Amino acid sequence: MVSEVPVYNLYMGCSVPANYPNYEAAMMKVAEALGMEFEYMPDVACCGSPNLRAIDYFGWLVVNGRTLAIAEKNGHDILTPCNGCFGSLKDVQHHLKHDSEDRVRVNKELRRYGLEFKGTVKVRHLVEAIYTDIGPDEIRRKITKPLDGVGIAIHYGCHLLRPADVTEFKPEMLEELVRATGAKVVEYPLWKQCCGATILPVNEPLAIRLARDKIRSMKEAGAEFATVVCPACGNQLDLQQLGLKESYGEVYDLPVLLYPQILALALGIGEDAVGLRMNRVAADSILGHLKG
Amino acid sequence: MTLVDPIDMSLLDAKFRDDIKSMPDGEEISACFACSTCTAACPIANQWKYKPHQLIRMILLGMREEVLSGKEIWECLTCFQCQERCPQKVRITDIFFDCKNLAAESGKVPEKVVAIAKELIDKGQLYVVTSDWEREDLGLEAAVPGLSTDGIKAILKETRTGRLVKGGE
Repeated sequence: MVSEVPVYNLYMGCSVPANYPNYEAAMMKVAEALGMEFEYMPDVACCGSPNLRAIDYFGWLVVNGRTLAIAEKNGHDILTPCNGCFGSLKDVQHHLKHDSEDRVRVNKELRRYGLEFKGTVKVRHLVEAIYTDIGPDEIRRKITKPLDGVGIAIHYGCHLLRPADVTEFKPEMLEELVRATGAKVVEYPLWKQCCGATILPVNEPLAIRLARDKIRSMKEAGAEFATVVCPACGNQLDLQQLGLKESYGEVYDLPVLLYPQILALALGIGEDAVGLRMNRVAADSILGHLKG
Repeated sequence: MTLVDPIDMSLLDAKFRDDIKSMPDGEEISACFACSTCTAACPIANQWKYKPHQLIRMILLGMREEVLSGKEIWECLTCFQCQERCPQKVRITDIFFDCKNLAAESGKVPEKVVAIAKELIDKGQLYVVTSDWEREDLGLEAAVPGLSTDGIKAILKETRTGRLVKGGE
């Protein structure tokens, strides 16, 4: 059987390269190990975030329509590690496919850049692509240092899960991917709840409270680690634990790992290559849970 | 004692509902039967004077000023839990995005959100790589391959983002 290496248009967005190079490094290592080819997209920058959608819907359509049109030039699916970028690109794609008037308006703008949106490439989140194109069985075959059943709580992030008719993501995908590493998935009551990142600019205390609710819910359910697949959620659950010390005087010490870090370690990749030391809450205790 | 102040009918703006209906994902708003499932699903509704189901009702009634000048639409987490659970398929979170766009059209945007708009116009991104040595330590290129901010800056200068930033200066 000849298996083709899947190639993707890698859209990093702005937050991962600036704030989470460990996420970026880990996903590149994972891609190499699993036989996925990630090609950085040319001429792109930020998706604008939900903030841009809030103040300038049309500008948001053009910015993301442009990214989609650039990807269409080589025809490979767009892949992103950020829920914010995923939500923007996926939603704009959905809207432009269903609203012909806006598609005409956006294409009129894109013509100036020699581009046209046709809707021919798919928008993929990193974990969905790993799940669909590689799959848990293949991952299990490649794992050399499985985890020992340690309990990990999953925070999916809102814009990966919802609106479900737009994102087309199923929580079981990430659940199965975490289990494939040998870890146990810890269920907790607030699994669907928001990390609070979006409202940091307008109501910081409320955003901090939401992060606290989440972390407490995970801890109380017995999670030893948490995992995230978005830099904004990472900020809220990992970095914000330092803020919680300040604002609530509470210490949770719940290490938060980016999913590809867990997968890379289980695939036998070293902790320095995935930037484990950059995680804000010390996460090196995960190394003690690797077998083999 | 009345629990709720009576609404002054003369202040209602019937066009508000039509504006929302004509905006992206706004059509289904009339299907709301005020069951308040959205409010039950919202993680922060308890912080708000007007709850999600009330805001939808206020749009239908035409209470433009109260909805567009309130803090609620800007504090929406955009977590889509309300929208996901609505039995009538009203796209509530999307409608709050429409409300923010209407508010922005008349320049009513919180200062810190205008600051974000300014970042997008000036830098073309919300986060800029500063510790490139960290990237190099991990075997990544110091500068993100393919990054070019010209496109986004050029686009947003000419749309509402550009007007908001200019207006704020």
